[in-house]
Amino acid sequence: MVGFGMGSNEVMIKIESLTKSFGRIKALDDLNLEIKRGELLGIIGPNGAGKTTAIRMACCILKPDFGDIKIDGISIHEDPIRIKSMIGYLPEEPNLYERFKAKDLLKYFAELYGVPKNDINGRVEDLLELVGMTERKDDRINTFSKGLRQRISVARALVHDPDIIILDEPTMGLDPATANSIRDFVRNLKGNKTMILCTHYMAEADFLCDRVAILNKGKIIDVGTPAYLKSKIHGDVILKVKIQNLEDVNSYKEKIMKFASVSAVDFIDGEYLISLKYRNEMSEIVDLFGNNVNSINTKEPTLEDVFINTVK
Amino acid sequence: MVIMKFTSITKWEFKNTLKSKKFMMIFFLQLSVLFLMIIIFNSFVTNIESDNGISITPSLNGFASMDVLDQSGFISKLINPAVINVIPLSYNSSLNNIADGKITGFLYVSGNVDKKIQLGQTIDMTIYLDSSDPKSSVVRDEVNSTAQIISQSYSNTLSNSAAPQNTSTPTVNQESTGESLPLQIIKKVMLVILLFLPLLLFGNMIIDTVVGEKERKTGEILIAMPMSQAQVIIGKSMAVVLTISLQVAMWLIILLIAGFHIANPLLVFIFIFLTSIPIIGITAVVAAYSKNFKEAGIGLSIAYMGIVGFLIVPVLLYLSRKSFLANISPMTIVMRLFSGESIPLMDYGISLATIFVVSLISYWIAIKLFERDDIMFGPRPGILRLLYDLITFKKF
Repeated sequence: MVGFGMGSNEVMIKIESLTKSFGRIKALDDLNLEIKRGELLGIIGPNGAGKTTAIRMACCILKPDFGDIKIDGISIHEDPIRIKSMIGYLPEEPNLYERFKAKDLLKYFAELYGVPKNDINGRVEDLLELVGMTERKDDRINTFSKGLRQRISVARALVHDPDIIILDEPTMGLDPATANSIRDFVRNLKGNKTMILCTHYMAEADFLCDRVAILNKGKIIDVGTPAYLKSKIHGDVILKVKIQNLEDVNSYKEKIMKFASVSAVDFIDGEYLISLKYRNEMSEIVDLFGNNVNSINTKEPTLEDVFINTVK
Repeated sequence: MVIMKFTSITKWEFKNTLKSKKFMMIFFLQLSVLFLMIIIFNSFVTNIESDNGISITPSLNGFASMDVLDQSGFISKLINPAVINVIPLSYNSSLNNIADGKITGFLYVSGNVDKKIQLGQTIDMTIYLDSSDPKSSVVRDEVNSTAQIISQSYSNTLSNSAAPQNTSTPTVNQESTGESLPLQIIKKVMLVILLFLPLLLFGNMIIDTVVGEKERKTGEILIAMPMSQAQVIIGKSMAVVLTISLQVAMWLIILLIAGFHIANPLLVFIFIFLTSIPIIGITAVVAAYSKNFKEAGIGLSIAYMGIVGFLIVPVLLYLSRKSFLANISPMTIVMRLFSGESIPLMDYGISLATIFVVSLISYWIAIKLFERDDIMFGPRPGILRLLYDLITFKKF
């Protein structure tokens, strides 16, 4: 395992050799991963990488063909009901029972999760306040926008105060304001709960997660803190030099590669993209171009760069 | 804890059903249909039991009209008035009427038929027909039948005169006990079918709750709940069974108020309630396998044809032969309870065993189907593949 978590060192979720096929398609191929108690792990990957399959198995919604997931030491094969009661799951699409009123929906799920009867009303009121839905508690779900449904979905996932929260694309398709409120919500829970966040938004994973796992074709390609992953792919910084005269393009590349700090050089659309492990030699590299420089920029590598580099 | 989860689903599903405006509309629509059926049923039975009886043959009154010129009036009396409207007119005007299309035919009888029969002379009849009128063949057939009757009557007169001591005609008097089979079918079977109707009418509710989970994609969060798929299926099914029971109870009360004689209403209710359990189980199998409402609708139609056959055929078998095996259908038991028959425990046992076995098998299959990842999330296997898995106990 690579990288480190922000929570304790105690392993809360342990995924071992997880394998799952749907017909001829192998969705997960010998997946291994550990998540520590209190840690927020992000899972990123292209469509069809197996993210949703992996978290559905952690929630005991799907059964693996091979392998195991242990939650707090309990195997999904041994006691799936107990594991389900420890997890709050927010699926990708906030599909809820349209005919329910917001408060009734939360009461229904609280009952199914086994929340003591005397605590249900108080718990529901607290959650409605937490997600800012108190005023709409008596409205039916079918009158809600996608953003409001997602808020109720978050409340539903937390109704039994679970130790583990699994969120599948929680901000997808939401307007920026609602997406930010959901992100704030997740950030506030950090440290108190063990969380898995599946997302397509690299900035979201970078901003929120303690560690990020990159999943592709059912396998973990890399896992670590966002900083670690970014440094691993591109080094510290990318130097972007746009040149005027394109005649001597090839001669520049050879000279740049001689610098010890340079890890990679690309030439795209009249612009040199030079990945530097450290910044000390930056001015000397720029001097190489002399008067042939049109513009100079630096760019910090993002998780998106990591993602594109890793899964290409 | 386990029981709590299953009853929670039942409680909420039942509560939501009763709150649903759509359901209440269907519920009262069904009740009004029941009222209508009671009225039709009552008048039908009254007619059948009356001395006049009831004719289900469509009336042909005034179907065709024919002019008849018959001095004695003997032939006119023999033509079936229910089919042909006999109009006595003169020769010339009748021929004109045919030409104008006012009548279909004209029968001319020469001389006095009464006298000719007594004298043993030949009777001459001439029929004029408008061949372009399709009804002309009916008129011709009716005249031919009348000629046959006269011929028979003529032969009888001759044979009576040859042997006058044998003039008495033998008569047969019939006396019957018990109700005729058609009356039994109408009075008993129809009433039982009426009471079993809610079982089939509300079956689609389980389709709505189970297939709806797939169509609305809410099944995922339900499976993520700390309960087994078995509890989900049982919980949802029991909510439908409760709804059916409510409807059956109301129908029974209405029938009793309407004056129908039901010898054991409580036992009748219990048996119908028990019968609803395997029927909902079979419906749950269809629902668990179906990908969408359209598929479920087709599956349900096929399944219910089988169920209706299984319920009704033994009832008819019992009425015609009093077959012991007919008790395999709970409908037979209910019909016998209706009539106040004394039913041996063994007969109850056969019916209850059927209910138990079918319930066990159907719920087991429904739960196993609902537990399968490929059925819930795809790619869904075909029925043959499932049968193979069932036989080999693979994934079942």
